[in-house]
Amino acid sequence: MIFDADIHPTILSSDLLSRLPSPWRRRFELFSTRAVAPPMVYPRVRNGGTRLDSWPPDGLPGSDLDLLREQLLDEYDIGFGVLIPMQGHTFGAEEPEYAAALCRALNDAIAELFLDKEPRLRSCVCVPHEAPRQAVAEIERLAADERYVQILLPTGTSSPPGDSKYLPIYEAAAAAGLPVAFHLGGVEGHRGDGWPSFYLEQHAWYGNSTAMVATNLICAGLFERVPGLQVVLVEGGISWAAPLMWSLDEAWTLLREDVPALRRAPSACFREHFWFTTQPIEEPADPAQLVAALEHTGMTDRIVFSSDYPHWDFDSPSIALRDLPKDWRTAIMSHNGHRLYGGESR
Amino acid sequence: MNDKDNPGTEATGGIDTDLHCAPASLADLEPYFDRYWRSYIEDANLGLSPSAGGAYPPGAPTTGRAVNGPDALRHRVDDLRYAVLTCVTPFDVSRNPYFEAALASAVNDWVRTEWLEGRSRLRGSIAVSTMDPAAAVAEIERLGDDERFVQVLLPVRGNDVRYGHVRYQPVLAAAAERDLTVCLHAWGRVGTAPSPSGFTHSYLEDYLANAQIAQSQLVSLIAEGVFERCPELRVCLAECGFSWLPPLLWRFDKEWKGVWREVPWVRQRPSEYVYRHIRATTVPAHLPTDERELREALTAIRPADWLMYASDFPHRHGEGGTRLLSALDEAERRAVLSGNALRFYRGLTATGPR
Repeated sequence: MIFDADIHPTILSSDLLSRLPSPWRRRFELFSTRAVAPPMVYPRVRNGGTRLDSWPPDGLPGSDLDLLREQLLDEYDIGFGVLIPMQGHTFGAEEPEYAAALCRALNDAIAELFLDKEPRLRSCVCVPHEAPRQAVAEIERLAADERYVQILLPTGTSSPPGDSKYLPIYEAAAAAGLPVAFHLGGVEGHRGDGWPSFYLEQHAWYGNSTAMVATNLICAGLFERVPGLQVVLVEGGISWAAPLMWSLDEAWTLLREDVPALRRAPSACFREHFWFTTQPIEEPADPAQLVAALEHTGMTDRIVFSSDYPHWDFDSPSIALRDLPKDWRTAIMSHNGHRLYGGESR
Repeated sequence: MNDKDNPGTEATGGIDTDLHCAPASLADLEPYFDRYWRSYIEDANLGLSPSAGGAYPPGAPTTGRAVNGPDALRHRVDDLRYAVLTCVTPFDVSRNPYFEAALASAVNDWVRTEWLEGRSRLRGSIAVSTMDPAAAVAEIERLGDDERFVQVLLPVRGNDVRYGHVRYQPVLAAAAERDLTVCLHAWGRVGTAPSPSGFTHSYLEDYLANAQIAQSQLVSLIAEGVFERCPELRVCLAECGFSWLPPLLWRFDKEWKGVWREVPWVRQRPSEYVYRHIRATTVPAHLPTDERELREALTAIRPADWLMYASDFPHRHGEGGTRLLSALDEAERRAVLSGNALRFYRGLTATGPR
């Protein structure tokens, strides 16, 4: 059974509105949301960033379950697919009560329009991430529903993700036995690197911003505080992890008194708490170098296949990762996802 | 341990591409400020930040101890063929663009007068304004004919746009016209957030962020077509690490294949521009400790095509630099210790200074 850890659904405004209570429905109708989604900052240069064939007759790419079944689940015999509703990234950054209402409506819409109808699909709990009290309430509301397999956060939070402000979210996730997934997006920010001019730059930077999320969580001592927490890094690449761990360990040897909350080698922490999804995996000209780079992470049992359907850079489960050793590929396509998300498909 | 007190053992005959000098106080620079700035400094009771604005906290084991004046540095330089001085004192945190430019000029004149004069192995870096590109160009024009300056020095971070951005193109062009390398050195406006999501709570994280930001600059320079417009331009990434390069290029080359239509002026795979136009210094060297992994990592890193030796004195980054040098074969060692720098900096000769 193939696991796909990154499928992007879209909920149409009409389907959100019908699930928003007053006064949020009226507010959404009149003012929509304020956060600017990354594709508006860096317009994707072709096809609006999605596969040309992923547009249903009515709606948007990712909004039509039948098309998603036809092009993904049935086509590749995917038995367990995790929906990553990216709308949660910007919804979650709004004013706390509004953000909570939007996330609740989004999670409910996903359940009714996708999960109730398709047993092969799972989803994330989208949360008002800048308002941890409300986020915890949403996690507790849905934690018992096993179809939600993780908590979703964007890499673009308004404070560093290891900030104590977010601690209640991680504690609630661990208490519910759910991993936290970081996906690229949220409110775009380039405070140290400076703003890129192009989508190409922004997209390459996603690997770096994911590395900085991991660095921040480790340095903050988060895993000493919440030892049960597992973190999934979605769509951020993988091969940078070994060089990052070499740098973390070398720096920690010299500077450990600066991070007293971190009580063991950062690489040990990294290897015990992080997972990766594959798309868009780095592609060296010589595939042996990718094999070596993944081996150096010591985490090949923590990599889960992802297609990123319906985005333009979709990876086909039948073509992707063919250059990896067969036993790794089998684990990445199936066993690793099983270990991360549990779950037999119903 | 990296033998910091006796670099001769690891780099005899080499070229040190990142050797730090720094004025002990603003008083050292006084002769190089005009009357307005002298009174500005006096009125504000202005001094140099003891931690370089947070980049080098005096107590941090990575900071080391600066030396006072060129004579104290002689034993480090005598065994070398050349040493390129980098003075990061102008990496100011003030938001006064005119002060930033005046400080850069004063430091450049101080380096020229107090360090380069009569010392044939030393080369200098022209520090320039980050907030006022016209002032940066003027400074390059002012000093660019002095052959002892071999590069233009900019902080790798701290601006709201990247160095490939149209704002900085005149600065890069002015450097390229004079055959000057552009050095993007670690730090810059420290205390501002290095990450996408804000101020970091630890120095360790800030320290490592230089490596992530250097990658963004590399990507920016290539995506903006800087090397198509300035085919002679060379860029050195100093004190920002280097072992991150292979994964970055594997992603960058792949994504360029997907979205090249956005940047049609990028005519070749990004990695080709990197190996032709960009080099990194050897420390901090973040490498695996396992021998087999080290060999595999270096195969991907291609040290002979990518690295230039630097002591980074007085900063200390652990044992990685030594591990790197001892893992190189003879040809790689020659390229890293001197060959790449000879090709990368103007006016250096294989036989050393006359």
